[in-house]
Amino acid sequence: MTSVPYSDAIVSPAARAKPRADVSPRRDRIVGALFVAPLVVALIVTTLYPTLFLIALATSKSTLGKPFRKFVGTDQIVATLTDGNFQIAVAKSIAFAFASATAEVAVGFFVALAFVTLLKLGRTLLVIALLPLMTPPVMVAVAWKLILAPAGGLLNGVLMKAGIIDAPLSFLATPFLAWLSIGVADLWQWVPFVAILSFAALLSLPDGVQEAAMVDGASPLQRLRHITLPLVAAPLASIFLLKLIIGFKLFDLVYVLTFGGPGFATTTATFGIWRLALEQFDVGNAAAQTLVYAIVIGIVTIPVVRLHRFASENQP
Amino acid sequence: MTARVLSGLEFGRNPLRVLALGGALVSLAFFLLPIAYLLSVSFKRKDDVLAGNFLPVDPTLDNWPGAFAATSLTTFIANSVIVSVLAGILTIAITLPAAYAMIRMGVFRRFLPQATLASYIAPPVVGLIPFFFLLKTIGLLNTHAGLILVYGLLNIPVAFWLIGPFLRRVPVEIEEAAALDGAGRFRTLVSVVAPIIAPGIAATTIIVVILSFNEFLLASGLTLTDGMRTLTVGISLFQGDRLVNFGQMAAASLAGIVPIYLIAFLMQKHLVEGLAKGGVK
Repeated sequence: MTSVPYSDAIVSPAARAKPRADVSPRRDRIVGALFVAPLVVALIVTTLYPTLFLIALATSKSTLGKPFRKFVGTDQIVATLTDGNFQIAVAKSIAFAFASATAEVAVGFFVALAFVTLLKLGRTLLVIALLPLMTPPVMVAVAWKLILAPAGGLLNGVLMKAGIIDAPLSFLATPFLAWLSIGVADLWQWVPFVAILSFAALLSLPDGVQEAAMVDGASPLQRLRHITLPLVAAPLASIFLLKLIIGFKLFDLVYVLTFGGPGFATTTATFGIWRLALEQFDVGNAAAQTLVYAIVIGIVTIPVVRLHRFASENQP
Repeated sequence: MTARVLSGLEFGRNPLRVLALGGALVSLAFFLLPIAYLLSVSFKRKDDVLAGNFLPVDPTLDNWPGAFAATSLTTFIANSVIVSVLAGILTIAITLPAAYAMIRMGVFRRFLPQATLASYIAPPVVGLIPFFFLLKTIGLLNTHAGLILVYGLLNIPVAFWLIGPFLRRVPVEIEEAAALDGAGRFRTLVSVVAPIIAPGIAATTIIVVILSFNEFLLASGLTLTDGMRTLTVGISLFQGDRLVNFGQMAAASLAGIVPIYLIAFLMQKHLVEGLAKGGVK
């Protein structure tokens, strides 16, 4: 079948988009437009509309019951930018996103490495590892809350019986331990996801290089460092980026485990906005905070995307 | 051969293999522990909950019916199932033709895929207030339809990311054959392409259904009455009680996630394949 090139599109072979010989290009373009129309509408509803609406709310005094009561210009945006508590909450969100993504990619990759070594067992283990991924974060938090409970929690019970501690610890009542608890619950939820994606990346590596290195007498650790890691660097960077974006969405674990406490220790930007909007009904300021937070995520994420693109293009 | 060569751990001769087995088993224990403990607590009596043992001393079945009696658990589960399944169907119905047009027909090939994936970066909290007022205006606040609409649209980037690789692997000759037989684009997509990538569509559908089923933040803001609350919101309300009955809370949590586990277990092959082949290439 010969393709008939038409005017406005230079079709790359990779996309394999072919004009059809039996219908006019114009008609085919109308069909194509109809196919993508619902998605375009969806994107407008989920991205453009919220952005414009948030700008409108942020520049006016608004409550949940009565939006747009009075135009206040940039007052709420300025208040948000100079709000120390909000700055700290944003900083905590960023720190959590990076720390959790780093820890989870590292642990997940080593879990995948262990599984890939035991290929026969590996698939079975991976299926079981899907459980945390399937579990709603709210239930994950409930399970960990029961484990960490000061009165009758499993962890305190085990530590007391082993004689490591004399009195039960309140894991969710001190800032450091509360963050650690949220971190562990998040790790539990996401490590399997990272492991499955890393597992796939490891399986798609070419054999020849490894065999050559083996013949040359390279040790397993040398091969991991000089061959496997450079080869999976790009997929791992993709996973890291994805996990970073997911990390910024942390909410459910905070809600159930600590409700932002003790004090405001685990109040992230997302949780603070939720409380401001749905508990204090201050929609105007909540909208201003949401806008600022979204922009901050963009500013933080874009360099990572750039780095990632640079790394993918300069693959060994 | 591949895997053994790849991590450099030859069978039988290598202490690293033992290390790998140990690591895999430890991580497995870690993955299973919270769920196992949740199961154990769901059979504990009130005083037993405070003892801090792993297994119940004097197991009871009372917590399970108790959880259903104490809350509108049945309604919550039904709401979650209705909303997440219909939202999943909506997501696929929008994503599949659009992905086909972008990948196979070259429609907006440069801009639209990037815009679709980029829209996933925004956290859900961005939509909380705008969607609240949108649904309020069109009269869908606190309804199944409202949540279905919001979830159905929000999961499109994930579905596109997962379905894309499957679409790209369909041999173009098959489509050309369909075209020669006189099938139009729509017929080709529905009767030729969709059956070929059915496993990918199945995995993607399950994943977006589970994402909606698990969602909490938007559900908490867009539902107002018990009759409309989803399971995650219902379980979170348990937290508000001063006298939390841990046994019932564990039973209620499990009652909601057992269906997901069953689906996941039955579809495990598709799920692992779908996750492994989607996206990270």
